[in-house]
Amino acid sequence: MKIKFKLNGVFTEVYVEPHETLLNVLRDRLKVRSVKYGCGVGECGSCTVLLDGEPVPSCLVVAAKVDGSEVTTPDHIAQTELGKVIVDSMLEEGAIQCGYCTPGFLVTIYAALARGVRNVDEIRKAIAGNICRCTGYVNILKAVKKILERVGS
Amino acid sequence: MLSINAFNTYRIPQIFDYYRPRDLREALKLLESVEGAKVVAGGTDLVVDLKYRRIEVRALIDISRLDELRFIKLEDSYVEIGSAVTIQEIVESSIAREKLPLLVEAAESLGSWQIRNLATIGGNLCTASPAADTAPPLLVYDAELELVSLRGVRTVPIEKFFTGPKRVVLERGEILRSIRIPVSRNVFGWSYIKLRRTSFDVAKASVAVLLDARDGYIVDARVALGSVAPTPVRARGVERSIVGLKIEEAARVASERVVNEISPIDDARSTAWYRLQASKTLVSDAVWRAYERLLKIGV
Amino acid sequence: MFNFIGRSFPRHDGFAKASGLAEFTFDVEVPGMLYGRIFKSPHAFARVGRVDASGAEALGAVVLTPDDVPDRLFNPRLISIEEDTFKDWRVLTKVPRYFGEPIAAVAAPTEDTAQRALEALRVDFEEVYDPVLDPFKAMSPSTRPIHERVMRGGRWIEVKNNIAAELRYSEGDLDSEEKRSSVVIERKFHASRRYHTQLEPKGAVCKLEPDGTLVVWTTTQTIHNTKILISQVYGIPMNRVDVRKVLLGGGFGSSIHTNLVTLIAVGLCLKSRKPVKLVLTREEDMVHDHVSFEFYMKVRAGATRDGSITFGELDNLIDVGAHQIQAYPILGTSLGWFVSLYKWRAVKYHGRSVYTNKVPSCAIRGYGAPEITWAVETVVDELAEELKIDPLEFRLANYRGRGEIFWGQGPTVKSIIRSDGVPELIAKGSEIIGWKRRESPRVKTGRFRRGVGVGRGFHTSGAGGPLSGAIIDYTGAVVKVNEDGSIDYITALQDHGGGTLDAHIKIIAEELKIPPGKVRVVWSGTSTTVYDVCTHASRGVFTGGEAARRAALEVKKKVLEYASRILDSVSPEALRIEYDRELSDAVIFVEGAPEKRITLSEVARVAWQRNWGSISASVSYRATVAPPSFTVYFVEVEVDMETGVIKPIRVVAGADIGTVISPELAAGQIHGGFAIGWSWTVGDEVSYLENGVPAHRMSLTDYKLPTSMDLPSDEDFIVLFASTYEPFGPFGAKGLGEAASNPVIAAVANAIYNATGIRFYEIPMTPEKILKAIKEGE
Repeated sequence: MKIKFKLNGVFTEVYVEPHETLLNVLRDRLKVRSVKYGCGVGECGSCTVLLDGEPVPSCLVVAAKVDGSEVTTPDHIAQTELGKVIVDSMLEEGAIQCGYCTPGFLVTIYAALARGVRNVDEIRKAIAGNICRCTGYVNILKAVKKILERVGS
Repeated sequence: MLSINAFNTYRIPQIFDYYRPRDLREALKLLESVEGAKVVAGGTDLVVDLKYRRIEVRALIDISRLDELRFIKLEDSYVEIGSAVTIQEIVESSIAREKLPLLVEAAESLGSWQIRNLATIGGNLCTASPAADTAPPLLVYDAELELVSLRGVRTVPIEKFFTGPKRVVLERGEILRSIRIPVSRNVFGWSYIKLRRTSFDVAKASVAVLLDARDGYIVDARVALGSVAPTPVRARGVERSIVGLKIEEAARVASERVVNEISPIDDARSTAWYRLQASKTLVSDAVWRAYERLLKIGV
Repeated sequence: MFNFIGRSFPRHDGFAKASGLAEFTFDVEVPGMLYGRIFKSPHAFARVGRVDASGAEALGAVVLTPDDVPDRLFNPRLISIEEDTFKDWRVLTKVPRYFGEPIAAVAAPTEDTAQRALEALRVDFEEVYDPVLDPFKAMSPSTRPIHERVMRGGRWIEVKNNIAAELRYSEGDLDSEEKRSSVVIERKFHASRRYHTQLEPKGAVCKLEPDGTLVVWTTTQTIHNTKILISQVYGIPMNRVDVRKVLLGGGFGSSIHTNLVTLIAVGLCLKSRKPVKLVLTREEDMVHDHVSFEFYMKVRAGATRDGSITFGELDNLIDVGAHQIQAYPILGTSLGWFVSLYKWRAVKYHGRSVYTNKVPSCAIRGYGAPEITWAVETVVDELAEELKIDPLEFRLANYRGRGEIFWGQGPTVKSIIRSDGVPELIAKGSEIIGWKRRESPRVKTGRFRRGVGVGRGFHTSGAGGPLSGAIIDYTGAVVKVNEDGSIDYITALQDHGGGTLDAHIKIIAEELKIPPGKVRVVWSGTSTTVYDVCTHASRGVFTGGEAARRAALEVKKKVLEYASRILDSVSPEALRIEYDRELSDAVIFVEGAPEKRITLSEVARVAWQRNWGSISASVSYRATVAPPSFTVYFVEVEVDMETGVIKPIRVVAGADIGTVISPELAAGQIHGGFAIGWSWTVGDEVSYLENGVPAHRMSLTDYKLPTSMDLPSDEDFIVLFASTYEPFGPFGAKGLGEAASNPVIAAVANAIYNATGIRFYEIPMTPEKILKAIKEGE
């Protein structure tokens, strides 16, 4: 079946199979490789994308469902003004190690900021669905503080 | 039995059709007419089950975008929540935050932010996991579920909804339309406490408590538990035994009595023994916390 | 003192990683590629009768069966010298020895077809045996042998009682040391099998070049050993195998060898003559290849009344699963960790690696050190308590420090400790955590009890040594100056994420006095790099960094020589080189002669214009020592005595890594080392049902990892670095990756004891076990 949706602000039409997830369609049909597969069951957060502005695990979204929606992916977010602040802060604080989970963190932190969250504790809760095996989250939290300083209220 | 070779969590390893009906009536018609069809809302449980071949389907009927199922409204004596309302929408709903703080507290503890954005209250109930986070609060709120089919509408009290692990009273062709939650004039203290392996996890054991007290004595108590029996359970014996008691006594008695009302098992998350032990503490903690909140509201 | 070392620079691959644009194996695509799927054994121990490929082939799939791959045994880890390499693996097996062992594979033009083809394969089993799951039962002579014989180097050896390898060692007069001991403590420990849970599942992509060269992208910590293994198994000359370096989504040991998936992908590619992508799903990754070793340790140790350690005895039984990766070397390193922790006057050791019908074990961060350190640090804590000596004083009096002989990676890799920050770290750390205020668990009351514990550990920096020994360990680096003075750095060394290559960039920059931004890491492959053994043993900075420094030094000599010609100085020795911040370049000059001055970029340009040739260096380097990086961690926990739930309250983590090259990245290693150690202590476990199927553990739904809410926040996590300098390290640096996780289980376990008064001798220490022990104590 054919679906139409806005991918990173651009109208996109793509053929999908009903059993394909949004993760499959983004990675394999649309070649958006910034969305990573980590567990396939919504537990790790590596495949997080924004669906109509809300972070969701793309591995659990049946692709057909996004017909008529907006999807935003980490490669796009990294190029936005707010995204750059997040990436720079993460870089400066050493919050990136192997980097496989990082795009997912970028999406979730971006989504929290975009909806006006300006509190470290709330962002710490918001990223509890993004698993990182490398950092112990400490430098990620330091980066979040830096981001909040830079973004202001 | 399907082997490990039939699993695929990258790509769903089965082929099926997908329908997105325009309205509830069309959804009901599809459900009647399409062989092997299954209703999907958030998909957070269903898609996992499809990947692990726990179920095989021929078609999915996606009700997640039906306006008829996506509302939270406040009536005189109840709040009504459409079944396709997401858990995060409940967390953020001003009506729910004001009238149903216990449900909000449970909803906040469900999954991760990402999961809450997909998962729906209807899905959480219809999946019928003994650990469903929204079930214990809805049990103590005495919620009623409205089930619709082409044959008509019926209302089922939530206590009668669950019939076993993964089993509910929904009949073929039926869809859960909404959840109606009576709003009492009385003020209650509330508490939802959940034990889990990590802060993003399904419950090992959970307790929901609503409490009213006067002069330090319990005058009304409602207690329900999750993940410690084949279904989420209302602990009426505990409730009866603590009404009329002073809070200290009530917490102690609740903790003693709760073991008679649960029948936990060993599974991936915990052991029967631990669940039994922990439930005692959990119930006592929840009674205390609900009481302390009640005092705060009183002030 | 340094221009760049010790300062923070954004990591070179940071934007690529954060934006998701960086390419991991999972992201590699080749036009026309087929998608592979593996047929995994549904039985933990069986014998295959027939593989019927007709159904799969009818769907258009290429099918690879055990008959299609070379009948050649191998060991996926090429780290020991040939005569110490035990071989018991096949690419595909007719005798699956664990649930999930690959029997066949399919490749098809689409993923859906591949899945259908996989399900269409018919595999008949002639026999299905009861799996052998308990390593103690496995050693009984009446138990069915899992392997009857295996190869050691080029010769067959019989396997007796399922013992894969055995090592005994003794030193000193144990009996007399025991006799003069005032206190002797004996304890048994059990460390579970743990899954690495690297975020990127393993995988490989292969293609054949028109000239027949096989190109491979794969999740590996070692591209050169992968090249060698592919060459050995498939009989392809090494210059016809190019293993390309690609980002690795987490290592922790999970790709320290060549994963089986890589060899299967090669097989599919060679059979189909088409490019093949074979990446594992998470559930496959969990059952198919590798978990940690599982340890059953018995420690006996003694001390005299005045607080001197006398003897130490370790009985170490390791359940290695169905195949050997390093079943023999792990026995040697376990002994090395044990011997090198304290100044035992006598030592006795018996190590056995035992086969069972479970997923094979490989190294996990620390390679046995976290487990051995936990056991020793628990017994040491108990000895100190018996003797009524402060546990810190007891450790200071008895640990192996500066001037002592030290083993690290086993009996063939000995050296003398030259840098040691333990006293400094103990002094500073104990002050911050408030050690003096620490109370005995006996006086603690109430429901929520806090406790403080200490764990002291170390890890080697690499596996080098003065003698060649039984382990291969050397590395290489190529540094090339472009015609504009920018630098290409070409290395096979893999960075798992710790920032190893960023450390190298700074080391090269420091040596050449140019800004790190001028150094680019070139993504290359085995064809264009010199040999590097593997990123393991915390050697990336110490060994790889030193190779990079030496290559940069050679380049510097050539630069000075050319500059000397240009500036007309008497010899290169008359020149000095310095970093010029304004020019953002190195300047070479003659002291006292202001006009005799030139930038490195200008030297490069002139050398090009005057046909003097390229400025470059290729270095192959073997470290002659493997100095210990010490870590001293203080941890405060809170235990809920009514639910058994434990929470980390505070961590003060001290590390002696010599010169700190990248402070924020080094701190990140320590945070992450704590996180994985905490996870091992409280949660990680792969257990098995009676039929050999991993119990409940085929998805991350039930293999839970700590989240941002479960670990200490940045405010509750203090990192300390000792002010030491390692004379053999690049600019004084040592390793860190594994030292960062080695003392964690010990520190947490000692903290739990200090809170509750109960010692736990088994990980994971789950709330279920903790509550049970509390109730039994009541």
